[in-house]
Amino acid sequence: MVIVAKVDNALRLSAVDRKATALGLTIGQPLANARAMLPALKVVAANDPADLKLLTQIADWCDYFTPLVALDGPRHRLLDVTGVSHLFGGEKPMLDLIRNSLQAQGFAARGAMAGTAVAARALARYSDGTIVDSGEEEQAMRSLPVEALNLDVTTTHALRRAGLKTVKQVASRKRSELVARLGATMLDILDEALGNTAKPISPRKPPPDYWQEQNFPEPVATEEVIQAALKSLTIALAKILERNGQGARCLEAVFFRADGVVRRITIEMGAPTRDPAIIGRLFHEKLDTLADPLDPGFGFDLIRVCAVHVERVVSEIIDLNAYENKRAEINFLIDRLATRFGTHRILVFQPYDAHIPEQAWAAVPAQHVQLSKLSWRKTRKEKDAPRRPLRLFARPQRIDFTMTQHLLWRKVQRVVVQSEGPERIAMEWWRHETPQSARDYFRVEDCEGRRYWLYQQGKLPEWFMHGIFA
Amino acid sequence: MALSAGKAARVVYARDFCMSGYAEIAVTTNYSFLRGASHPRELIETAAQLGHAAIGIADRNTLAGVVRAYAALQEIKGYRPKLLVGARLVFVDGTPNILAYPTDRTAYGNLCRLLSAGKQRAPKGECYLTLDDLLKWQEGLLLVVLPQNNEEQKESDANFWNKRMAEEEGRDITLSIFEKNAPCSVTFSRGKDDPKGRMRSLFTTLRILAPMRVWLGISMPHHGDDQRRLRAWQDIARDADVPLLATNDVLYHCAERRELHDVVTCIRKHVTLKEAGYLLEANAERHLKSCDEIMALFREAPEAIAETILFADRITFSLDQLKYNYPDEPIPKGKTAEQHLHDLAWQGAARRYGSVIPDKVHAALEKELALIIKMEIAPYFLTVHDIVSFAKSQNILCQGRGSAANSAVCYVLGITAVDPMQIDLLFERFISEERREPPDIDVDFEHERREEVIQNIYQRYGRHHAALAATVICYRPRSAIREAGKVFGLTDDVTANLSSSVWGSWGSQLKDSQVRQGRLDPANLLVARAVKAANELIGFPRHLSQHVGGFVLTQDRLDECVPVGPATMKDRFFIEWDKDDIDTLRMMKVDVLALGMLTCIRKAFDLIRAHEGKSFDLATVPREDPAVYEMLQKADAIGVFQVESRAQMNMLPRLKPAVFYDLVIEVALVRPGPIQGDMVHPYLRRRSGIEPVEYPSPAPEHGAADELFNVLSKTKGVPLFQEQAMKLAIVAAEFTPGEANGLRRAMATFRNVGTINNFKGKFVGRMVARGYKQDFAERCFKQIEGFGSYGFPESHAASFAHLVYISAWIKKYHPAAFACALLNSQPMGFYAPAEIVRDAREHDVEARHVDVNYSNWDNTLELRTDGALALRLGFRQVNGFREGWATTLATCRSNGFDTVNVVARRTKLPKRALIILAEADSFQSISMDRREILWAVRRIPDDDALPLFAAQYVEEQPDEEIAQLPVMPLSEHVLADYQMLRLSLKAHLMFFLRDLFLNEGVMSCAQINTARNGSKAKCAGIVLTRQMPGDAGVVFATLSDEEGVANVVVWPKLVETFRREIMGARLMLVEGKVQRGSEGVVHLVAERIFDRSYELQRLSEDERQTPPSLARQSHPRDVRAVPKSRDFH
Repeated sequence: MVIVAKVDNALRLSAVDRKATALGLTIGQPLANARAMLPALKVVAANDPADLKLLTQIADWCDYFTPLVALDGPRHRLLDVTGVSHLFGGEKPMLDLIRNSLQAQGFAARGAMAGTAVAARALARYSDGTIVDSGEEEQAMRSLPVEALNLDVTTTHALRRAGLKTVKQVASRKRSELVARLGATMLDILDEALGNTAKPISPRKPPPDYWQEQNFPEPVATEEVIQAALKSLTIALAKILERNGQGARCLEAVFFRADGVVRRITIEMGAPTRDPAIIGRLFHEKLDTLADPLDPGFGFDLIRVCAVHVERVVSEIIDLNAYENKRAEINFLIDRLATRFGTHRILVFQPYDAHIPEQAWAAVPAQHVQLSKLSWRKTRKEKDAPRRPLRLFARPQRIDFTMTQHLLWRKVQRVVVQSEGPERIAMEWWRHETPQSARDYFRVEDCEGRRYWLYQQGKLPEWFMHGIFA
Repeated sequence: MALSAGKAARVVYARDFCMSGYAEIAVTTNYSFLRGASHPRELIETAAQLGHAAIGIADRNTLAGVVRAYAALQEIKGYRPKLLVGARLVFVDGTPNILAYPTDRTAYGNLCRLLSAGKQRAPKGECYLTLDDLLKWQEGLLLVVLPQNNEEQKESDANFWNKRMAEEEGRDITLSIFEKNAPCSVTFSRGKDDPKGRMRSLFTTLRILAPMRVWLGISMPHHGDDQRRLRAWQDIARDADVPLLATNDVLYHCAERRELHDVVTCIRKHVTLKEAGYLLEANAERHLKSCDEIMALFREAPEAIAETILFADRITFSLDQLKYNYPDEPIPKGKTAEQHLHDLAWQGAARRYGSVIPDKVHAALEKELALIIKMEIAPYFLTVHDIVSFAKSQNILCQGRGSAANSAVCYVLGITAVDPMQIDLLFERFISEERREPPDIDVDFEHERREEVIQNIYQRYGRHHAALAATVICYRPRSAIREAGKVFGLTDDVTANLSSSVWGSWGSQLKDSQVRQGRLDPANLLVARAVKAANELIGFPRHLSQHVGGFVLTQDRLDECVPVGPATMKDRFFIEWDKDDIDTLRMMKVDVLALGMLTCIRKAFDLIRAHEGKSFDLATVPREDPAVYEMLQKADAIGVFQVESRAQMNMLPRLKPAVFYDLVIEVALVRPGPIQGDMVHPYLRRRSGIEPVEYPSPAPEHGAADELFNVLSKTKGVPLFQEQAMKLAIVAAEFTPGEANGLRRAMATFRNVGTINNFKGKFVGRMVARGYKQDFAERCFKQIEGFGSYGFPESHAASFAHLVYISAWIKKYHPAAFACALLNSQPMGFYAPAEIVRDAREHDVEARHVDVNYSNWDNTLELRTDGALALRLGFRQVNGFREGWATTLATCRSNGFDTVNVVARRTKLPKRALIILAEADSFQSISMDRREILWAVRRIPDDDALPLFAAQYVEEQPDEEIAQLPVMPLSEHVLADYQMLRLSLKAHLMFFLRDLFLNEGVMSCAQINTARNGSKAKCAGIVLTRQMPGDAGVVFATLSDEEGVANVVVWPKLVETFRREIMGARLMLVEGKVQRGSEGVVHLVAERIFDRSYELQRLSEDERQTPPSLARQSHPRDVRAVPKSRDFH
């Protein structure tokens, strides 16, 4: 199996599995080329967002071991485990635990521990499972190829061309010699690889911009205390948000249980919000409706509320426009309802660009659309009569013409006095297996002034009522 | 689309019924790119069947499709509607679309000028028109304003207009009146907000400037309110006092084409069908409708239908009236063109032959001149002569070919170099009197200097009289399926898969088998629809591009004949018609083409003159030198024009060319035509005497038994040349000249692949009826099909054969100059520089590495102490090096460089350039190790050093005490050479692996070539080329090692088994059987194939260098050593 991605307008392999590697496929090879070799090749299109999501999830999962997790390129994760390894029974058991559990989840994972990030990364790649104590990196790195330094392509090439193909060979050159040719950055990396200097890692999740937490000397378990803590944290957070002119679209409450289990609940808002009352209520709704109640076990020793996603609140000034206020109310209503019943049960109509009347709209979750941005196609000029009925039937209803000008709908005979048409709408031919005939729509008025929207379709015309104008 | 018999019968009825009742005025063809969904031919045929009185072709700001329509009309038997030629003017200033139809030739000129003006100010392919332009050129144009269904200009166009609007903001503009006798000036409101007022003022303006020539065009699109809108427009028309004109604003010829129209709309808008929504038409109504339907639609306004007839009657212009006129020639006063040509010809003859002109030539000249005078084409020859004379005066090599080129007249005028004494001329065969078509002469020029010739033509004839022909770029199977796939929302992978299963891009239809080959189910609805749409799309024009070199020259203004627009290249202009159109209208065109080999030959001649003091030109190279033929017979032909391909090289020892005409045959033989027609083997058998030469003859009652002798005697009874096939059609299948001409056209363009089959029954049937064997007739026709666009007439073959001979002669006697010229003319030919250099070395030419102290940009020749010439590689062979750097290096060299620092200081080349030089090992004369040099070069300060440190350049850098670097192994040297130069003079990559392979019992390529026929053998080498010719499924691969090359054949059965190895291996090991042909051609017929590319890693210790991948299908010249692949995952 291979994964392909578009590079410079050509499909190229971006990842290959072991079997494909064994068959001679390589990363960067054009797909056409690979197909020429293996017609039966199984190809999957690259999905970078999904990859990223998965890798971020892995990083999330790593939070378990240490708060200091860094993303290092698309493929590497750096964990600063200084001072935490004893929690997992020492370095070796910790490393094994991480690797084993990742493997158990079906990932191919390699790992190593060293005093510096550069060394750990190199060892993970070339010597999986190694643990090198601080100060002994040089010994471990010496025999590795120069690529292990993860330098840029030009520098690596220059070193190789000069015959310096291992870390040992590079290290044996004079420092001045290297700096003059390859720059100081390269030397820094080399130093770090050899354990001479160490740089701190830059953790992945800059802890959320805004958060408040409360430590409990004794684990708390009663609901009242938890609610109270949540409330005070929310108020504190709201103050910070207000000070910064921002509101939260997504908030997270994290409950750290004394025994290491972490529980999180998340609420989302349709518009940036910082009103503690609203937030409190939404948390409350959420807690109420949790299928799996927040089991405090032996109690929580830390509760944290974070604003995960914040946005600027635009309308700072109190809006005197009633409609605007109304919209805010509608938004809040939508948020409340959605929090309680689920996002997918609170819907709004959205227009779609299609000729077929019943396909020109769809109901979508209200929280997912910006109500102000919905725009319906104008089908007529101001003065003209409407071309589409006010009420469109979900399912066109069969009608009959008993005589010319006499139509029978819902068992009632109606006499047509005026009509206009036809408006011919052809079916979307690419959706149907067999050709469908076009519909001829008519706007029709009966003797009592009722207006209908009818169409006929087919060779032996069949008539349908599709909507009414008033 | 063929109509069934039943439908045709109904059609006749329809015509009788509404004869002359309706004319469709607003027809958009697919030359309104991605807007119309039918070919002009389909529209014309349908209009004829529906019995329309006239059909007006009006494409979007273009006349590109009208000639096709015209040609289609000529071919209709029976009722022909009147063809109205016009354009749909789409404006950038918000003016509604207006159809413009010229009434007469002068008005047509105005329309052309109008469109040309719009094109001049727009980027290539666009046309920006404003109402002002129309008012300027409206004289004689009938104008139909189309307020409905306006086609929007694209956004870029709108931007153009907005800029102009900003300049004129808010002002009403008083139009300057262009025509002298116009009665008054008109104020036209540009108010944006009042569409009705706008429309009114538009009509006022038009009515005053174009009285009685304005209509309001309306259509009934089934939008529900058609009748209401009709009444509204009736009011407006009455107020404005312009007649209403009924149209259906046609986009396709039949309702079924709506699907394709939706597809092309999506392609244009870059959306999928699912996203398209309102971008698509709501229904399928915009097709050509019968008079009955139109009458039903316009029952409320029958006057609008009647008006269409009146409208069509006003137009007297037809494309027939575009009489071609030859450009003004510098004919001396008091002489006619004929006299002048006559004089030039005899003067030239005297120059070529001296005072005694051979009888044969004398007779030929007389005959040809008489014919030329009769045909009134003397000016044409004078024009070509003029262009060629210019080239010669500039010392640019050129040679003519084409139907008329093979004449004694062309030879004595210096247009060609094929001596009529050597080869029988076939002049009158090509300029047939029946086909009153202009003769065809293509002239090849050196590819690097053709631009000078083109610029001269512009200067000489003026931009109003000279422009390039267009090439209509059409959808081919690959592009069609790619675009259609996108529209149907197929993923890139699936479409790539589908399109890659189309080998080559000339097939006409995607077959189910091809779909299956792409491992997709042809029954899958989505795939099936995409394939159906793609099949319909194939042959649709996509855009116009300039022809490579076809010049159209006229006496009158060219932009009054056809709209002329700018090409992408600055100062280039091209017309809207392609060579077929030009042919249809009998306009004249001269092909000014570029040929790489001419550049190479000229460079070789220059080198020979400079280093050996001998001067040659195309005509003075010694003829019929046996040593040259001897060399070719041994297939020693790398670099030789035309015969260097694998197939040609296989043919050479079998054909054993010994005289010039053999080369003509050699060139024509290995072509798709004769191969497909299975004519190659019969010819070879007859030539070697295995098979008797015989001429098929018709049954006695049908004609003389030797009727084919005259046609085929030169080629031993086997038709090889295009014109022989034509002659066969005329003589054996009794085609009329008209039919033969149709066949020739069908043959000439792949777009008409469908039409060529119409000729098959006629051709084979008539031959069989006249007593020929079915098998022979079918083979002849197969060959005709094969000619397709690869047609190779004898005249071309002769011209090319001449270049074959000359390049072979240079290779034989001046191998160093030949290799050097070849390398300096790259890219051209079939072989990569590595092969050219290797071949030169095999011919005892010493090759020397690039060196800062000796090399220039170009490759050069150096005199050796023993008097021979050595080839010094130039910096152009070094990847990434620039010509400017090389020049600097050469000018700063003076007495030579002795250290790297001196090079850097004196040349001030950027550090990057110095690193490339070091990587390419070009400091050898400074005699430092490559590594040391590289290490030293990297120490030189960066170019963008701060001013403070700039002084460092002046000073020597302080010496540095550093330890020795590890020694670079030879194998790494070689790899580095390959990376930088794609070749190495130090050793072949295989050299380092020889011991390894020796242990496995692998033979070298040279050993294979001397091995016993039928013996089992193993051979390994770097893959130079892989070819899979035609549909046969056989793969030919060429392996190379340090001792030579070996030819591998893989039969189709094996191809599937070893596909991965065949397509993927850079280093291939083949086990198989040696097959030795009677002529000494040796193949290794593969039985097992192994991919041993991984062995190459050994060459650079653990470094995974990508070796010089010579691995591409078909053409080795674009092979590059893949740089620094770094894959570790």
